[in-house]
Amino acid sequence: MADTDSVQTAKPGHGNSGFVRLIRDGHNLQTIATLMVLTLMCVLFAVLSDRFLTASNFQNIMRNAAPLIIASCGMTAVMIARGLDLSVGSVLAAASVLAASLAVAGVPLYAAFVLGILFGGGVGLINGTIIAKLSVSPIIVTLGMLNIARGVAYLITPSAILVGLPRNWSDLGTSKLAGLPMPIVIAIVVACLFHVIMSYSTFGKRIYAIGGNEEAARLSGINVPRALILLYVLCGTTAAIAGIVLSSRVGAGDPNIGVGFELQVIAAVIIGGTSLSGGEGRIIGTVIGALIIAVLGNGLNLAGVEPFWQWVAQGIVLIAAIIIDRQVQDGMRNVKKG
Amino acid sequence: MDARTPPSAETARAADGALLAVSGLSKSFPGVRALHNVDFDLKPGEVHCLIGENGAGKSTLVKIIAGVQAPDDGDMQVNGVTASFSGPLDAQNAGIACIFQELTVVDGLTIAENIALGDEPGSFGIFKQSQARKRAEQLLASIGFTDLPVTRLCGKLSPAEKQAVMIAKALRQNTRIIIMDEPTSPLEDAEVRKLFDVIERLKAAGKGIIYVSHKMREIDLLGDRITVFKDGERVATLNRGEATSEDLVQLMVGRELSNMFPAKSHSPGDIALEVRGLTGPSITDVSFDVRHGEVLGIAGLAGAGRTELLRSIFGADIVHSGTVSVDGSRIGANSVIKAIQAGIGLVPEERRSQGIVPVLTVGDNAGIVWDQFPGQRDGASDRTAAVSEIVDLLKVKTPSLSQRISTLSGGNQQKVVLGKWLLTKTQVMLLDEPTRGIDVGAKREIYQIINDFAEKGLAVVLVSSELPELLGLSDRIIVINGGRIVGELPGDVSEEEVIAVSMLHAERKAGTQSNAFQDN
Repeated sequence: MADTDSVQTAKPGHGNSGFVRLIRDGHNLQTIATLMVLTLMCVLFAVLSDRFLTASNFQNIMRNAAPLIIASCGMTAVMIARGLDLSVGSVLAAASVLAASLAVAGVPLYAAFVLGILFGGGVGLINGTIIAKLSVSPIIVTLGMLNIARGVAYLITPSAILVGLPRNWSDLGTSKLAGLPMPIVIAIVVACLFHVIMSYSTFGKRIYAIGGNEEAARLSGINVPRALILLYVLCGTTAAIAGIVLSSRVGAGDPNIGVGFELQVIAAVIIGGTSLSGGEGRIIGTVIGALIIAVLGNGLNLAGVEPFWQWVAQGIVLIAAIIIDRQVQDGMRNVKKG
Repeated sequence: MDARTPPSAETARAADGALLAVSGLSKSFPGVRALHNVDFDLKPGEVHCLIGENGAGKSTLVKIIAGVQAPDDGDMQVNGVTASFSGPLDAQNAGIACIFQELTVVDGLTIAENIALGDEPGSFGIFKQSQARKRAEQLLASIGFTDLPVTRLCGKLSPAEKQAVMIAKALRQNTRIIIMDEPTSPLEDAEVRKLFDVIERLKAAGKGIIYVSHKMREIDLLGDRITVFKDGERVATLNRGEATSEDLVQLMVGRELSNMFPAKSHSPGDIALEVRGLTGPSITDVSFDVRHGEVLGIAGLAGAGRTELLRSIFGADIVHSGTVSVDGSRIGANSVIKAIQAGIGLVPEERRSQGIVPVLTVGDNAGIVWDQFPGQRDGASDRTAAVSEIVDLLKVKTPSLSQRISTLSGGNQQKVVLGKWLLTKTQVMLLDEPTRGIDVGAKREIYQIINDFAEKGLAVVLVSSELPELLGLSDRIIVINGGRIVGELPGDVSEEEVIAVSMLHAERKAGTQSNAFQDN
């Protein structure tokens, strides 16, 4: 129970200190709103199932959320710059089967991981270059790449690799560091890194500028194509890391994993408050958005809801999140005017 | 940054005079000779105005100087050193900055961050907020904006404040040459005065300013020298006081435009539009009448609610209470469709985003209301015939009706926007800044069209930030402020009176009651 307590009490504590200051900033208002949705969901599921509010279940949720959080960080950066990457699910699969088959072929495990991650970055480089240099719509480029990378995954291996993986293949997914499962540690590290990039680095300011007003960014002397390419490289990289973490945890290299994952990632980013029209969004929000999706899946499972209904529920949450977001923004605008 | 050393050439050549000298500059685009053998120079501490109709070549010259386009031929010297720019960044590094008409700031970043953008202070890739703030404060103070908190998001700023941010940003590098392209078009009169203060400070600091404008009064006031362009060539460069506004216009258009405004010979008839107690989020208890054949001008500062008032009458903005009647019959609130069916037409403020559908043809744009409202059609029953009649009547310069409207000049696009209401039985025309961004020759034609509307018996409601235009066309003027009517004036008042009424009810800051154009 100790774990749950710390998760639960952290929020009101933050809310009370300097609450007015927090509210004054629209971004924080939005973060608080999503945090409240997450809290409400936790309360609801705690009532529905007595197995929900346990330390082991929370670890379970976090472990499941880890790949989603990792991939969503890269996607957040891309979407703040008014881009989109639909290929993350396929990249995740291709990177993990590539790493798995390299490991089977005798490449040292961590070298195989690194090569898988570099592959993801390479796919991002191709995406970004076509988008930025040839001015093709990101939806079209990454939709094409969604098919290509999935095809590559099947070309590497048409079925799941279960046999011949080194014995330590699953270590990354199952080991612990300082009592925390490794996937969670990796997710926290990636999220912190992206938070620093987006909120404190000069590169981060440029990403917000590109998404908020690309012409202004260009006229400020920012090399917009280069920044965009780097963003898609980051997004491909995080997708590949998510793939490595996921396949290590499930103990296989499977070309079928991650089908539809891109939609979960985009949903997490949008629920977290990143605007589809760019220029706005925060990593903290995305992490909360990913947790909302993970809690939803876990809670509905525990409550005995059929998997098909979980799809429906996820869709409803996504649409509701956007409606709330619009209402909040309109409200803010009216306050400003009035 | 503070530590940056100025380019050495600058100090060496300062005695020589010109900050910028171009000679023999030419630039052609497929089928168009945009610039032909143009000479131009800029001295420290002067405002050099560029005037000319749209397409006369001034934008091309400015783009070449700013490094946005490369010339086909010719020589350019910056501070006495031959320069050839391969992009805007090269021009910036040479000390040339551009303040564009569109306010290119990033709304989601703070003032300090916007000013830092592209040259962010930082170490190891981490953005240094405190340094950025300090620099922003210094730069803003240098142009007289000391009370603007640099941590404020740019999305919360007024157009004038955004412009100040852009100017401050332009100054962060060792900028000597500042290009301002129609800088007053997003501003109101009171804000214009503040901009002119900034320009005075820049001049005093030895900066050279290239000032592009369509507004004669600004040119009269600011221009130390004035260069007139026509058809890609430099027609004349004149010193202050060498030519009257009328002379300049004549040089620009090559024909006499002694009177921009047609004679008002309206004979108002019955009441056409009756607005009673209209109240919405931005307007409060607005009541007025407009008669057939009358032009009613609406004056007020930016944010006074002028646009919202027109949109509320048209059913495009939410109305909480109040009524709108056309020819005595009340129309349902909050419905554009009902407003059009009652005979109201709106020419919106933003031509490109609200007035036209850029991807459609001239014919489809002109017929867009005609198509939707069969019951409202006026005149010919054949669409092509009806549309081409109007296009001819309004002298829209287009190769054909199947030409994409986005390829036409602003003035011709606007004529199509006006024309679409003539295809239907429109009784009341609501015009919101109908000549914004349109060159002098086309403006005059649009003034004529507006006057013809009134003579045809239409009731016209005109919103304009350009007072000469408002006074030149209106039979009567109401002044609004804070969404309320604060005064009504006859059509023959002076600009000063209109400004006095507008400002009297605005914030009573010291000095704001004087007029931006007072010393004229």
